[in-house]
Amino acid sequence: MNKLTSKQRKLAYVIAIIVLLIPVIWLGMPSTGEEGSGGELAQLRVKHELGESTLGDVDPSSASMNFVLLGLRGIATNLLWMDANDYQKRKEWAKLRSTVDSIILLQPHYMKVWDFQGWNLAYNVSAEWDAVEDRYFWVKEGIKFLNEGVQRNERFPELDWKVANLHGQKVGRSDEWRLFRKFYKVDPDTERYEDGPDPEINPERLDNYQVAKEHFLLANEKELKHKQHLQMRMLFRASPWHAQFDYANAMQREGTFGKQRTDAWAQGFKDWTTIFGREEFITPKGPIVLEWTEDDIKDLANRDENISEADVRHWTNRYQDTSNYRFWRTRALSESETETIDAHKAIYDGEQLFRSGKFDEANVQLEKGMQLYAKVLNKYPSLLSEDLAIEEGLQAIILWRYIHDLKGLPIPDSYPLKPLWNKEQGRVPQLENDLRRRYGIQ
Amino acid sequence: MSFDPIPYDLLGAFKYFLVVFGSAMLIAVVVCLIVGTLTRGAKGFTGVFRGIFDFFVQITHVSCRRIWSLTVLTIREALRQKILFVFIIFAVLFMFAGWFLSGAADRPDLQVQSYIDFVLKAISWLVIPIMLLLACWSLPEDIKKRTIHTVVTKPAYRIEIVMGRMLGFTLLGSAILVVMGTIGYIWINRQVPETAQYKLVSKVPVYGEIVFTDREGALTKTGLNVGDIWDFRSYIEGATKARAIYKFTGIDESDAIDDKLVLESSFEAFRTHKGNMEKGGILYQFIFVNEDKNLRVPSRPLINKEYSDNVLEVKRKLKYDNPEGKGEGDAGTEIDIFDDVVDKDGNLTVEVQCLEAGQLLGMARPDLFVRTPDRAFLAGYSKAVFGIWLPMVLVIMLGVTISCFVKGPVAILTTLTIVLVGFMSKEYMTEILSGQMQASGAIEAWYRLITHMNSQTALPDGPVKFIIEIVDAGIINFLWLCQQVIPNFGIFSNMREYVIKGFDVSWNAALLPGIITTAAYILPCLIVSFYSLKLRELEAK
Amino acid sequence: MDNEPVIQISNLTKIYRDFWGRKKVRALNSLSLEIKKGEIFGLLGPNGSGKTTTLKLLLGLLFPSEGDIKVLGQPASNVEKNERIGYLPEESYLYRFLNAEETLDFYGRLFKMPAKERRERAAELIEKVGLGHAKRRQLKEYSKGMTRRIGLAQALINNPDLVMLDEPTSGLDPLGTDDMKRMILELKEQGKTVLMCSHLLADVQDVCDRIAILYGGELKVMGRVEDLLKEQDETQIMTSRLSDEAIKEIEQVVAKHNGKVGTIDHPTATLESLFLKTVQESKDRPGQRFVPDTEEKKASE
Repeated sequence: MNKLTSKQRKLAYVIAIIVLLIPVIWLGMPSTGEEGSGGELAQLRVKHELGESTLGDVDPSSASMNFVLLGLRGIATNLLWMDANDYQKRKEWAKLRSTVDSIILLQPHYMKVWDFQGWNLAYNVSAEWDAVEDRYFWVKEGIKFLNEGVQRNERFPELDWKVANLHGQKVGRSDEWRLFRKFYKVDPDTERYEDGPDPEINPERLDNYQVAKEHFLLANEKELKHKQHLQMRMLFRASPWHAQFDYANAMQREGTFGKQRTDAWAQGFKDWTTIFGREEFITPKGPIVLEWTEDDIKDLANRDENISEADVRHWTNRYQDTSNYRFWRTRALSESETETIDAHKAIYDGEQLFRSGKFDEANVQLEKGMQLYAKVLNKYPSLLSEDLAIEEGLQAIILWRYIHDLKGLPIPDSYPLKPLWNKEQGRVPQLENDLRRRYGIQ
Repeated sequence: MSFDPIPYDLLGAFKYFLVVFGSAMLIAVVVCLIVGTLTRGAKGFTGVFRGIFDFFVQITHVSCRRIWSLTVLTIREALRQKILFVFIIFAVLFMFAGWFLSGAADRPDLQVQSYIDFVLKAISWLVIPIMLLLACWSLPEDIKKRTIHTVVTKPAYRIEIVMGRMLGFTLLGSAILVVMGTIGYIWINRQVPETAQYKLVSKVPVYGEIVFTDREGALTKTGLNVGDIWDFRSYIEGATKARAIYKFTGIDESDAIDDKLVLESSFEAFRTHKGNMEKGGILYQFIFVNEDKNLRVPSRPLINKEYSDNVLEVKRKLKYDNPEGKGEGDAGTEIDIFDDVVDKDGNLTVEVQCLEAGQLLGMARPDLFVRTPDRAFLAGYSKAVFGIWLPMVLVIMLGVTISCFVKGPVAILTTLTIVLVGFMSKEYMTEILSGQMQASGAIEAWYRLITHMNSQTALPDGPVKFIIEIVDAGIINFLWLCQQVIPNFGIFSNMREYVIKGFDVSWNAALLPGIITTAAYILPCLIVSFYSLKLRELEAK
Repeated sequence: MDNEPVIQISNLTKIYRDFWGRKKVRALNSLSLEIKKGEIFGLLGPNGSGKTTTLKLLLGLLFPSEGDIKVLGQPASNVEKNERIGYLPEESYLYRFLNAEETLDFYGRLFKMPAKERRERAAELIEKVGLGHAKRRQLKEYSKGMTRRIGLAQALINNPDLVMLDEPTSGLDPLGTDDMKRMILELKEQGKTVLMCSHLLADVQDVCDRIAILYGGELKVMGRVEDLLKEQDETQIMTSRLSDEAIKEIEQVVAKHNGKVGTIDHPTATLESLFLKTVQESKDRPGQRFVPDTEEKKASE
């Protein structure tokens, strides 16, 4: 068959090797670090910023692990992921945590892994534990885990956003939010943290929403360079300012009605109208700003001859609706007024009195609050587009009505906020349920 | 805790061994007889029996002197191949391990666990692969370099060479293990902070049997299922007559610690409503029952802290306040736990009751145990090191045996495969073989993958189905064979779990099965290596 | 007594097969041999003629395809007979990480020998093969010749009745070869039977009583060395140096007896004998250059 001599065959091999080497070298030669050096792949890597170090911090153990596994890291990750699931099923939490760490060593730049496992630790694992301190520990673990992800990946604004969301929503909005917010400032491990917060979570001893705001701001900063794929850009960029509102609101929920709260609302208004409101967002009909003057409209319309002033107005309006811009503007504005503060305070006091069984005093406070609140709503009707605002009013009415029932008093024909009550009947059963559980009413 | 210390069925295991081993031998003999008769006629037939007889002759004539001589040779060879360099890796690992491990978990209890885990894993991952390589490499190398020629032309049986190799590597590995184990022990002791030193114990638990009662108080085998995928624990509902009843046998004064009966529990909570979150857990209560004396002694209400050890120490003498107002004890009567509560046969019955309405407590057999006087940490630790020694010996035996009939690299791959399969896939294989897994046949799975057919749809009738079923049956049978033959290495890693969790290694549930598993392979390994060397021309071509 | 057969081979055939059992090489074809006690028997033949195969069959390292083997009256696969056998393999397959003492001790332990005897015998053998200076060095540092020597010592550790040597002189310098030959002859004096195979004919000629020549796995020639090499119709005369006249006279005498003179000239010594002589001289008169007996030397004197 083969008529070539051994020498010819060897020569053929050499030629084949050389021929094959040419594309290998042309494609694969590593870059020396200078611009434009290296093979085609190296140049593409530089061009599209695919090198390890351009993605974030390089963990040497992670890099060496991937090297050792050669091409098998996908398989190894899959196996580990299955292990992690199994540990979760068997409630082996310490092992779950360390397995997740190993997965991360293998896949340090895969955003979904960070996202999912961070969430898993802070929400799912946390909820499996019975004691609130333990739950808080796992929320912290989730945050710490995501923090690491942020360090390793400079180009995912999503991750910063998720961190911020854990600081904000998980700590501030869980069932256990009162304790979580307390622990956020004084960690349950008092011995270790000396009655202070866990420095890895809250180094400056701030409110959880303030920290959340910082992280949202970081996310916004990154978002200018790297596109996020989480939600509509405008909503994404609104997050820090919402955190500011949440901060102010949380104080209120806890019954703090002092200057700090009012300042927080004022700051919120300022941020909302001067920073977020003045940011340009691109709509199908060119850029718009949410906080506008007639000059802005004209100016924006003039930038492109295909766009009319009517277009700009239309899209501004739509975007304002989407972001609930006008509501939050009004809310923040209204919260700085004495009347609003008094209304909130009266309702809050009424609830507290109710809780401690002082029904007569509670009744007085609730009625006062309802009156004041009705005034506020009259003044700022747009507040009625927000759930929290509606619920606050409804809750006051429910408790007030309950006291009347208790004492066998008839409900008067007319009372403040009656229009609200009638309009929002659909929400009542759910709220009644919540209140029953909260106050232990049978 | 996920490990369930089920006592080992020694007799059953032995019977099982006899069945598998006996049938394998029988099949081998029959096959040899048939092949022998076909190729060599009557001479072949008698030859088979002569061969069998030979094994017994040689096995009974092996000389300790010669085996020892070969053992020394083996050890010398390994040492002069600079095997002790492994200690350098070991030292480097330990020098830097502290840095990486200290950050791994923030809780001292988890920290201790990760230290112990690291030490035991590091030792086994260093020693076992090295012994595997040595065991698989030495004999083929001996044959390849023909150094074995000078040995087999001396009056030494070939089986003695095998035994010498096995013994040599075992001794060498044992020495390395002892040194590493000692260093590891010192390292753990120094690394664990003062505040967590109390974690370094070997608890000796006594486990009981568990039954449940439902909310009406009728006996059931299991409690409620709250929808957990893992049906390890069963739940009892609070403020109903639902109980978990643990029965411990063989309890007497010697099980007391400082004259106290110590119960350790770790139940799981399931809440149907938030309840009081700030208390830190759900309330529950033990009731000690002695039906002979009609005694029901309740404990005070206890808080169940989830995923941690809840310890209840009951003083030996306790005031019995007779809450149900019947039986012989009057209010305020002093009773003795071991004399009155434990019945005359040494049984202690403990009922567990959840006290909060609408909340559930989940438990399984190992979740409540009587903690008897602790043993030193060293006791459990050394047993765990012994738990590394056993698989090491097994790996050496398998490696040497396999290297009797294949070349070095092939032997390494084969042994490695067996170890990995035995370590990771035993459960998976059982799942397939027990028929729990749907459409588990290899060809069938391929067919379904390619045709996008889900596993519920029946295969269409016809020749395809016929072929698939025939081939799959063959594969499944082969798998069955592998399942029988491949050792279950998972047994050994259990021992590590005990020590990590602060327990002494259970003799019945871990140590004994490990020893038996290893011992079961001695005879088969010797037989296989005897015949593969006997029938082999030692000329490596 | 002398006729007691130590090795009996009848009809021995060895066929090497490949993995699938197909015939590859017929290494030995119907070989029949008998080696008697006390003789030195040489197996000769070019490379690949089946010498080593025969030896390995005798030792049970290979299994015969056909035919029978009896060594010391036992089948080749019997292990106990090895108590009385010594074997020097082709390349001295020894454990290179052991030193000479450890090597002999290790092999000695495989025999039923008391510890004391084993140690004495090991020390004696090391001296005998001339490795006293290197007994603590690992074998991997040994030269080829030293390896052969320790190989021989290893083969003799049990004071065997039958010694099998595979290429005993290969790789040795002439001095070593001479030593080896001397030791082989010594074995014969002790009444031992030696079976050696070699392709170095001179060595075989010097020591063997009987030889067999194998070619292509078949026995071609067998018999006593003198018988095989004796040229029946030639006479050789060796004298001291003669004058030309004397040579002429001798030619005449030969012619008178109807003989015919083949060649008459000065005999050339073999290189081997020259080499041996040189070494001997060097030992006797260290530090001086050895001047062989040549024409020039004569002239200068």
